[in-house]
Amino acid sequence: MKNTELRQLIDAALEGQISEADFLRLEAELSVDPEARQEYYDRILLTQLLAAEADEKAGEQPAVTPTSRTRVALRHWRWAFAGMASVCAALLAFMVLQRPDTPLIPGQSQVAEADLGTDSEREQESSGYAIVSGQVDPIWADETSLTQGSMVPPGELHLQSGVAQFELFSGVTLVVEGEARFSILSPMEVLVTQGKVRARVPEPAQGFRVLTDAGEVVDLGTEFAVDVNADGSEVHVLDGEIDWHPRGLPAQRLEQGDATRLAGGVEVPIAANSAQFVGPEELQQRLKSRTETRISRWEATTGELARDPELIAHYQMSSSQRRLQNLAEATLEPASEGAVVAAAPAADRWGRSAQALDFSPAGSRVRVHVPGEYQNLTMVCWVKINSLDRWYNSLFLTDGHELGEPHWQIMDDGRLFFSVKKYDPPFKEGMRDKHIFYSPKFWNTSLSGRWLMLATVYDGTQKQVTHYLNGSILSREEIPDEYLVDTIHIGDASLCNWGLPSRNQPRFAIRNLNGSLDEFMLFSEPLSEQKIQELYNLGKP
Amino acid sequence: MSEPTSQSEAQFVAELTACQLPLTLYIRSLLPGDGAAGDVAQQTNAKIWEKRDEFDPGTNFKAWAFAIARYEVLNYRKQQARDARFVFSQELEQTIASEIENTDDFEERQEALRLCLQELRPRDRELLVSRYASSATLSEYAEVVGRSAGGLKVTLHRLRTALLECMKRRLSKWGTA
Repeated sequence: MKNTELRQLIDAALEGQISEADFLRLEAELSVDPEARQEYYDRILLTQLLAAEADEKAGEQPAVTPTSRTRVALRHWRWAFAGMASVCAALLAFMVLQRPDTPLIPGQSQVAEADLGTDSEREQESSGYAIVSGQVDPIWADETSLTQGSMVPPGELHLQSGVAQFELFSGVTLVVEGEARFSILSPMEVLVTQGKVRARVPEPAQGFRVLTDAGEVVDLGTEFAVDVNADGSEVHVLDGEIDWHPRGLPAQRLEQGDATRLAGGVEVPIAANSAQFVGPEELQQRLKSRTETRISRWEATTGELARDPELIAHYQMSSSQRRLQNLAEATLEPASEGAVVAAAPAADRWGRSAQALDFSPAGSRVRVHVPGEYQNLTMVCWVKINSLDRWYNSLFLTDGHELGEPHWQIMDDGRLFFSVKKYDPPFKEGMRDKHIFYSPKFWNTSLSGRWLMLATVYDGTQKQVTHYLNGSILSREEIPDEYLVDTIHIGDASLCNWGLPSRNQPRFAIRNLNGSLDEFMLFSEPLSEQKIQELYNLGKP
Repeated sequence: MSEPTSQSEAQFVAELTACQLPLTLYIRSLLPGDGAAGDVAQQTNAKIWEKRDEFDPGTNFKAWAFAIARYEVLNYRKQQARDARFVFSQELEQTIASEIENTDDFEERQEALRLCLQELRPRDRELLVSRYASSATLSEYAEVVGRSAGGLKVTLHRLRTALLECMKRRLSKWGTA
């Protein structure tokens, strides 16, 4: 890489204006070249120096377009840079203001320590070059399971029918119509062996290539499509221009409106036909009408569920009012309405704004009261997890932890946790207060921001606990006889948080879910696998 | 707790002060272009201070402080709950850590830069410095100063490059002096 190019990349990165493709190039260069790194450090040194100068100046005259954010940031910088003396002074001031015996929230500091142990040892990773950004009636071969937001696995993909849209990390949008066989080789290269593929290439991804048996398309900033089938291959330029390198024939530049057809070694120019390929807008239209259909189907299901006498609680988290109506109508002992605390409005799983609740603000929860005693229980929720950054990430927990009370939460390692307390101390030899039913790890950061349906069934009759993710069984475990609870109580409880700090004890562990919830259902019967699967199929966005 | 001005704490403050530049450089290197890097640096200083009793005076202060800085950066990223698109690979981050930790000419380089900055034409210096006094994006800023974003980007880039060339000349002079 030339020096000038490197410097431009560094400046773009430091201005916060770098594209993803360029960031990857910069990273590659910094990884191998010590001089490139020196250049990087020097440019940051310059940034720091200029920021410090700017800060000094800010005291003298108004800065250009000052905002409160800058002011705060500049103040922060001031004491780091205004020289040794003031750093000492600031530190001393800090020491006086913030004595180290300032109480910390115990749960929080523990969490921090725990994180230090794991995160500093290994960085989280994911792999892939693209995500699925939309699908209409897709049928994937070979048991490939790709849903909205899925990371696309490496290797050949076979879309038997339907339409799928991908967003490559380079910024390229790809719409693929089945039947198609293709591989995403990198953020900048796609191999198409069969089918119609339409690519929209933004400026930072110029040079994006589509490889076919017939030849190679190199994009020059545009939108184009290829149609590869047994009879031959077509390339259509829908906007901008491309370089077309047919196999065994001279390369040519094609412009908007140009198209070419190559069959049996003979190339014939034809007219470009945009209508032949589904584009991103058309796909969005199809998706929108599909979503509307799905929403009305789920609304109908909600109406049917309300008449199910086994449904004790059903909350949809529309946040316009801070009270959530319990939609369950047929049970003799319905749960109370839900009282929203702190949680903020968020988009729901269909993408409608303010129809879900974000529980990441401190103290967030929905308070509910569930009367009655139960032998069986089914909990179902639709949840979007940002990260599992607490030891315990709450879903549904009773206040405190008394005999017969259930706790449903997610561990920081991605396992579902369900328990019902059986004993108070003192315990018999080798016994504990409860048995914890863990699922295997189902969550990792690649699921961050994705809507998931979680369900757990406590079946006291069959003596088993089953955890579900998106309608499929994660694990099923027998309830040991000595831990079987046949009268479950709930009483006062919270969604997505645990417990209330009591008088004179304002400290509390941080257990609110870092994520959003848009629906919660509680049944007094153990729903069957088929029923859970059905709830997922009817409720999935 | 002992008096804040006791000898061991004065020593600690001196160590912390001495590694401000590499520490902030390290944090900025891991968070390129992130406006909150300064806040993370401040948070790191606070955390270092909070943990000062855990520091063993016989050991490498810088390495200890860098470990805390790295943790604060990870913690910040986690709080942002953002994807990892603009995060360098772990190997590169480790290389950066060990290079910055084991290099001690940053003060000198920055001093050379400071002198070079004084050599710039006043209006060029003004432009560079004002850019950092503003939190506006480049294009917003271009509008404020009445220039095209593209033109301004080129000018700023050229000025920074000139400054760094000047710094290298100075350093090589100092080296041979």
